[in-house]
Amino acid sequence: MASLSEEVLLVVKRVRQRKQDGTLYLMAERIAWGPEGKDRFSVSHLYADIRCQKISPDGKAKIQLQLVLHSGESTTFHFANESTALKDRDAIKELLQQLLPKFKKKANKELEEKNRMLQEDPVLFQLYKDLVVSQVISAEEFWANRMSLNSVEHSLANNKQQEVGISAAFLADIRPQTDGCNGLRYNLTSDIIESIFRTYPTVKQKYAENVPHNMTEKEFWTRFFQSHYFHRDRINTGQQDIFSECAKQDEKGQKSMVNQGVKNPMVDLLSLEDKTLDEGYGTAKVPTTSNPSNKSLRENSNSAIIKRFNHHSAMVLAAGLRRADAPSDQTSETSSTDGNSRDSDFFQPPLKKVKLQEAIEYDDLQGETVRKTIALNLKKSDRYSHGPTPLQSQHYTTSQDIMNSISIIQHEMRTYKPRLTQVMSSSAASSAITALSPGGVLMQGGGQQTINQLVPTDVQGELKHLYTAAGELLRHFWSCFPVSTPFLEEKVVKMKSNLERFQLTKLRPFQEKIQRQYLSTNLTGHLEEMLQAAYNKFQAWQTRRMMRKT
Amino acid sequence: MKLNIDGLLVYFPYDYIYPEQYSYMLELKRTLDAKGHGVLEMPSGTGKTISLLSLIVAYQKAYPLEVTKLVYCSRTVPEIEKVVEELRKLMDYYTKQTGAKNDFLALALSSRKNLCIHPEVSSLRFGKEVDGKCHSLTASYIRAQHHSNPSQPVCQFYEEFDSVGRQVPISPGIYNLDDLKDLGRRKGWCPYFLARYAILHANIVVYSYHYLLDPKIADVVSKELAKKSVVVFDEAHNIDNVCIDSMSVNITRRTLDRCQTNVETLQNTISKIKETDAAKLREEYRRLVEGLKEANVARETDIYLSNPVLPDEILQEAVPGSIRTAEHFVGFMKRFLEYLKARLRIHHVVQESAPQFLKDIFEKVCIDRKPLRFCAERLRSLLRTLEIADIADFSAITLISHFATLVSTYSKGFTIIIEPFEDKTPTIANPVLHFSCMDPSIAIKPVFGRFQSVIITSGTLSPLDIYPRILDFRPVTVASFTMTLARTCLCPLIVGRGNDQVAMTSKFETREDFAVIRNYGNLLLEMSAVVPDGIVAFFTSYIYMENIVASWYEQGILENIQRNKLIFIETQDAAETSMALEKYQEACENGRGAILLSVARGKVSEGIDFVHHFGRAVIMFGVPYVYTQSRILKARLEYLREQFQIRENDFLTFDAMRHAAQCVGRVIRGKTDYGLMIFADKRYARADKRGKLPRWIQEHLTDGSLNLTIDETVQLSKHFLRQMAQPFRQEDQLGLSLLTLEQLQSEDMLQKIAQIAHQA
Repeated sequence: MASLSEEVLLVVKRVRQRKQDGTLYLMAERIAWGPEGKDRFSVSHLYADIRCQKISPDGKAKIQLQLVLHSGESTTFHFANESTALKDRDAIKELLQQLLPKFKKKANKELEEKNRMLQEDPVLFQLYKDLVVSQVISAEEFWANRMSLNSVEHSLANNKQQEVGISAAFLADIRPQTDGCNGLRYNLTSDIIESIFRTYPTVKQKYAENVPHNMTEKEFWTRFFQSHYFHRDRINTGQQDIFSECAKQDEKGQKSMVNQGVKNPMVDLLSLEDKTLDEGYGTAKVPTTSNPSNKSLRENSNSAIIKRFNHHSAMVLAAGLRRADAPSDQTSETSSTDGNSRDSDFFQPPLKKVKLQEAIEYDDLQGETVRKTIALNLKKSDRYSHGPTPLQSQHYTTSQDIMNSISIIQHEMRTYKPRLTQVMSSSAASSAITALSPGGVLMQGGGQQTINQLVPTDVQGELKHLYTAAGELLRHFWSCFPVSTPFLEEKVVKMKSNLERFQLTKLRPFQEKIQRQYLSTNLTGHLEEMLQAAYNKFQAWQTRRMMRKT
Repeated sequence: MKLNIDGLLVYFPYDYIYPEQYSYMLELKRTLDAKGHGVLEMPSGTGKTISLLSLIVAYQKAYPLEVTKLVYCSRTVPEIEKVVEELRKLMDYYTKQTGAKNDFLALALSSRKNLCIHPEVSSLRFGKEVDGKCHSLTASYIRAQHHSNPSQPVCQFYEEFDSVGRQVPISPGIYNLDDLKDLGRRKGWCPYFLARYAILHANIVVYSYHYLLDPKIADVVSKELAKKSVVVFDEAHNIDNVCIDSMSVNITRRTLDRCQTNVETLQNTISKIKETDAAKLREEYRRLVEGLKEANVARETDIYLSNPVLPDEILQEAVPGSIRTAEHFVGFMKRFLEYLKARLRIHHVVQESAPQFLKDIFEKVCIDRKPLRFCAERLRSLLRTLEIADIADFSAITLISHFATLVSTYSKGFTIIIEPFEDKTPTIANPVLHFSCMDPSIAIKPVFGRFQSVIITSGTLSPLDIYPRILDFRPVTVASFTMTLARTCLCPLIVGRGNDQVAMTSKFETREDFAVIRNYGNLLLEMSAVVPDGIVAFFTSYIYMENIVASWYEQGILENIQRNKLIFIETQDAAETSMALEKYQEACENGRGAILLSVARGKVSEGIDFVHHFGRAVIMFGVPYVYTQSRILKARLEYLREQFQIRENDFLTFDAMRHAAQCVGRVIRGKTDYGLMIFADKRYARADKRGKLPRWIQEHLTDGSLNLTIDETVQLSKHFLRQMAQPFRQEDQLGLSLLTLEQLQSEDMLQKIAQIAHQA
């Protein structure tokens, strides 16, 4: 039993699967079940393959646990040991609960990624169909190359995983329920607690200060819900309340935020007005001589609610940003507990300019706006502009030469002076132009029709598919060179046979088809040339290898 | 592109143009040709400013003798800066096209607070403090003292400007506020006084309304602007209120108390000076006998105490004998003060006209009309003679003297209302004397009289005929332009009922109704689920909003809304609201989406734009009528009826609808933008309300979108938003709502354009 060398975490006996008694093993990387008396597992799932586990509800006669796999299959285990069945099941469940998430991410991510790539890229999907489904190459081979290709951006995108924000309504989710005897029950989940901590760092601090030593966790939350911090609209001041300090700190944070002012001058209401009327002028209501006592209690509590909402929203927003900022080194220290998580100095004067420019811009009145495109990241631009050229190539123009000649031409055009005495008459010129335009006298012979007029669209489509598929295979093939490792050697041989298979199963039928339709067979000429080039290369390589061997 | 507007070559700094811009420029050109005034309405986001600037600059270049200056008035500082930036773009285009160097001088002017570069003074937070501090460093007598006593601090920037800056004219160019400050720092000149001085020879001046409309400032800053100027009031939908505010005064008991201490300080200073430097007072007396000549040589730095009445009303004669000596004047002020105190000691509301007030004051304390008229002038002279540095302390007595001058100068168009307590709190005595202007035409009249062309323009001026009436002028062109659209990017909907068929309205009788509040809440909740990014909701008043928010909170509606979006709420504190606004934008920016609850007529509704995703929907809860029980308003309505034959209801509805239009208009800031405009009150469906909305909104208000239920609204919104989410490219607009030069020149397009302008 090779698998016994693995670490076994839990063994439960008397577990039935398909009406057969057996033993369930939980190991480091997989769960396995073997029928009684046999020393081999008939069921074995890697944890990574398991999507979820389901258990039968309490109180049911049969105590079962079901594993649902990513592939959609499922396996059900029935715990048959009457006395300890429930306990066994729960033990398994608990352990799985801990184990599954660890593996889940890894597997899922890969699968999801593949799925996503296929969905997003129809060409790739077609390729997949052409190559994998028709079994020219195996799925693994297909992906092996793909994934590594994307691995750069992939890893970039992945290791900075997007932080999940906080629902603004998380406090609303704690619906108080009456428990029937003059009490309220609040349902707190770990998510909500996390949300509370992230949004209100002061509460977290209190929690850390108080919880194990001064009070139990339960007591803490009870107090939290009782405190006027939670019910801030009701104005009462209990001094002994541990949260009154939080409220004060929040208020302080809010004040400091307000005092800092805003960075965007376009929304700064304080500096909006150029010249405010002096006190005493104007018809507007004279501001109530600011004695808060004449405000009714209700008004006070109303404005407290408003303040609270503003604060709450700001905190929720800041909590989201705080996390996002944290890994991106430079901005991290600016996030503070007062809910303001922005850097102040890089928003200064230029921001105003930018905002002003933004405000006066009419993008549709502007002429051609330069579309933002993704720049091609070329390592050697010369190679790109000239394509792969044979090494023994004579002499080709470098981009420098081209540039030079362009500039020479430009220069000549700039200094070009028409010799107006020697031009031909306009009628002669226009007749020459008509003669040279399509349909003109001189254009008769070259009445060339382009391929897309000649060939029906379905054939064109098919040809396109063939091209992409061939391209993909050839890419695989060429990527093996220079053949430096035995693995690559093996691969290059395989790829060559793949190419041959492709030619046989895909290209030939197509050629026959177009022949049947009496189309010019020239269509596939280029494809064949490409394949031939690959074969030649392979031949050359093989002979060289032979020679070296001998 | 280069346009031919009725024979005038106009450089327009874009490759494309909206048809309505072309039409707007045509009308504008006609107005300038006729040397008359104009009222032009064009929706926001259709490039009003650039059209205005392009045409007027072209006009200035073509006929430099006909139009010498453009005075562009806008409302807020960001607006002013935006205008200057657009101007810069235009001028850059000119240089690029013509190759000639720009010879235009254009600059923005703002208050000291935005222009000061003095390290100490500019660090002050409030405009009033900055002004006061500046005054204490630059007043003429302070500087005189500095000569004899170099330890007396003065502002080195002003000194530098005064000694050098005036001789060298500022080189042509475009100067925004920041550019002025940079220039000031480079040269060591005070940017504020540099700008004030430069506006006299600048080709284009951009500043805020107050510099033309508030007589207290206009007299000093804008006195010498040439008659051949074109004056533009942009965003002018509220211009009447600006006029009224600049001429109204409120006096509370606190003002009187502070005035009392002012008077005592004056008295002490006078007796002190009498012992040390009696000649000074004698000199002043002599000057006053000679008349007010010295007012003409008043220094620019002494702006702080100017006359509150319009220049043509200031008497050009000597101060009457009874207040000529300093002691007499102080005694006179004391008497006046005592009289006012007595008037505030009442238990019922009193309303009277200015002549009645004058009669009463004559009977009770024997104060004549004439010395009252000179109060402001006399106080100014006295404060200067006494060399009082910190003038901000004397704001109370300044206010009282302004009141005295105003009440004795104008017999019509003003009313005095004395209220012993606020309506809401009848038990707490808080007497206020309102001296309020009811006729906006008083303040703006000199502007219309003085300048050859005054253009009043805004996105919301409907109904157009009312502005000429309340401002009392005769425009040569009155036109409204619609927005040509390739896709209907605005969707006005009138929601009249909840799903329970209960009418939705903010009518006074039902506004506290539980069902109405709940329906409003449901509307917001449903919308928060379907509208992406930002939603802005406006309430009719702050108190109403507070109440609704409280009851939504109790009903758990806000909690449910929070599941969809973050909630931010405007408060009465501007700094807090700014912060909420910034957070709101942040939340829209990062994709979370947010709701801003705000108040019509508030600062947000007037000054903040919600472009693109910052506002995909605006909900107007109720019709934003003014508080109709206010006595000032009642008096004004009465005045309007008697003087201008405007019916009370017409004016109230007009006023409410212009504010509603302002609120909902915040959401559309261009043709590529889109947004829902939801009017949540069944009263909007009535023809008299609907008809007062701007034409560009009315056009899209079909019969099918009146009196909807919440569910129907959500359906229509979903449909609209889905349509708008489709990609919108320039090609879609081209030829319909966006024209190239060739398209513009085609015959039938010109014909179409002629229809855009809607002559009122």
